[in-house]
Amino acid sequence: MKKKKAVPWLYSFPAMLLIGIIVVFPIVYTGYISMTNMNLYHWSDFEWIGLENYKRALLKVDSGFLSALETTLLWTAGNMVLQVVIAYLIAVGLNAEGLKLNRLYKTLLMFPWAMPAYVSILIWRVGMYNTEFGLFNKILVALGLSKMDFLSKNSSAFLACMVLNLWMALPFMIMMIDGALQSIDKSMYESAVLEGAGFLQKNIYITIPSLKKIIAPAVIMTTFTTFKQFDIIYLLTMQKGSLSGASLQTIITYAHQNAFVSNNYGLSSAVSIVIFGIIIVFSFGMNRSGKGERGEEA
Amino acid sequence: MKKLSMILAGILVVSSLAGCGAGSESVTTDNDVPAVQETESAQETKETDVNKEPVTITAWHDNDETMMNALADVVNEALKEENITLKFEKKSDVTGQIQLYGTDAQNGPDMYLFAHDSLGSFAEMGILEPVSNLISAEQESDLIPMTIQAATYKGEQYLMPVYYETLLFMYNKDLWEGEIPSTTEDLYAYMKEHTDSEAGTYALVNQHSGAYNVAPFINGFGGYILDSDGNPGLDLQETKDAVTYNKKFAALQADGDYNTVTTLFNEGKAAAIIGGPWLISGIKEAGINLGIKSLADFTLPDGNTLKPYSGVQCLGVLKYAAENKHDAIVKVLETLAQPEVGITLAKGFNCAPANSKAYDDPEVAANEMILAMKETAKVAQPMPNIPQMNVMWGPTESLLAAVNKSGEDVDAAAEKYQNEALSAIADMQ
Repeated sequence: MKKKKAVPWLYSFPAMLLIGIIVVFPIVYTGYISMTNMNLYHWSDFEWIGLENYKRALLKVDSGFLSALETTLLWTAGNMVLQVVIAYLIAVGLNAEGLKLNRLYKTLLMFPWAMPAYVSILIWRVGMYNTEFGLFNKILVALGLSKMDFLSKNSSAFLACMVLNLWMALPFMIMMIDGALQSIDKSMYESAVLEGAGFLQKNIYITIPSLKKIIAPAVIMTTFTTFKQFDIIYLLTMQKGSLSGASLQTIITYAHQNAFVSNNYGLSSAVSIVIFGIIIVFSFGMNRSGKGERGEEA
Repeated sequence: MKKLSMILAGILVVSSLAGCGAGSESVTTDNDVPAVQETESAQETKETDVNKEPVTITAWHDNDETMMNALADVVNEALKEENITLKFEKKSDVTGQIQLYGTDAQNGPDMYLFAHDSLGSFAEMGILEPVSNLISAEQESDLIPMTIQAATYKGEQYLMPVYYETLLFMYNKDLWEGEIPSTTEDLYAYMKEHTDSEAGTYALVNQHSGAYNVAPFINGFGGYILDSDGNPGLDLQETKDAVTYNKKFAALQADGDYNTVTTLFNEGKAAAIIGGPWLISGIKEAGINLGIKSLADFTLPDGNTLKPYSGVQCLGVLKYAAENKHDAIVKVLETLAQPEVGITLAKGFNCAPANSKAYDDPEVAANEMILAMKETAKVAQPMPNIPQMNVMWGPTESLLAAVNKSGEDVDAAAEKYQNEALSAIADMQ
């Protein structure tokens, strides 16, 4: 009996070892470094200093951190709502009866997702938002309006980052919803039409309830990606030598700015562990709310 | 298991005795004269063989590869007899890479070439061998004192200066109308008259929110980004005056992003640019009729000239390389201290050599850009090379962007970013 129980563990041991090396070890090692005074002045002769770095890290979690957390939540919520709504509308449009070349449209819509993020972001910074060469400013000037620096103020930079995030993230969501739409039984729509249901009713009573369960994992995954988004905000507004003037901070950019510019690896690791803890708490919260929803449905 | 241990122990004892035997053999021949001669000649042959054994010195950089290869060619030609090869490898984020590999003899480089401002960090980390331990001061007597000063940290010369750079006023002779002004006020008047930002044409562009590019104003006004004791000076009145003064120029200089300003100049939409020799290849490619003036030729309202930072490109030697490849490293440094390297870089790439003898070459002496940099070097300040400088670029650029791009109040922004700088410096410890 004992042997039977041990065999599955034995089989999964190599995979668990690999996960341990790749995932767990860096976290444990970061935890270890966070308790040392490893920095420029103690590069190879660093010593164990206990929780000293955590005291300093927690002091850093000040009003700046809270405002960064607020921005992050607004960023995540805004992006997710828009992403799901827009992707839903586009996916429904792509599945409209009689639409010609819908495969071509689907392929074209995948491009932003297939492009490397770094390239997309820099193309948008110069090609779209730049005051001299950007498409948006060319349009403004052609309409006789003044040029606008979209990235210089927090509010406009936030919207500019959001537009770019939507451009980059929508293809994935469209693909997920499009796939889910294919799985809905067509006869349900036929019955609804016979009952006199219109476009809106078919969507509210058939499509959306049928999609919910299927796209939930995709929405949860994208929520996490959006929550810890770094490259769009950093490369558009905070790139070293090219600051745009906006001082937007999400918790990840805040952690980067406060932790990783000082070359104090002990303190940086402590700040990282604190942020890591916050993200873990956030994911447990997400998981529990997900379970709650599923429980209610059951 | 016991047997296996015994066998292993036996093998160890036998092999160590064999090692002792080899040593004792050479001792027993010491009293025998012909044998000594034989041994000596054998040793000589062995030494020559060792000298002729090829040694490759690897150096990391993030410069133009053609330029680095030209530098390597000069050194390799001079050290052909010694069988020493200097090989450059391009890396992005050289300072970050050196931090990671600076103690890794297996995977790290032997040397690196980079601007001197990162010296303090590496010296504090204890990964650099001072070049003053490898080469005598006499052999470096031809190097310009400013470059030696830049390569020195806490009284110890850690780096070997190769060439230096400063910002310059570069203009398109076909677009600029009339003489180049000699005061910044006249320059501003010209800019106001010849700039139409809606049409996208500019008199002068500059990276107006970049710390390096605004340093000529800050230093010229008597302010500073960081003093020699590691104190930030963003909220000094002189610095704030300079930032305020720069703001009016910034309003006429597009968004100040590197890509924007270089494209505007190279496309003939800006008549002048404040930039360095690194822009030359793009300017040449664009076919611009280039004129150059030293920033030291512009006078500020307070009577001082613009005082840019100078960046000295130096070679640093990693400690493990100085131990493992000592003789080869010394030879490379000795060759770099000669004027030939500087002459090659000056002729081919408009670099201002660190070796003063290089300027005796007629072609180097006649190079307009090098002359302008030499002129500027008289007033230029070497970038601070203390470790605190690493964390000062961020707050300084945030201050400039806040003032120039977001329209924040100079006093409030200066106070905010001074505190940020102090906190970043405190975080280093």
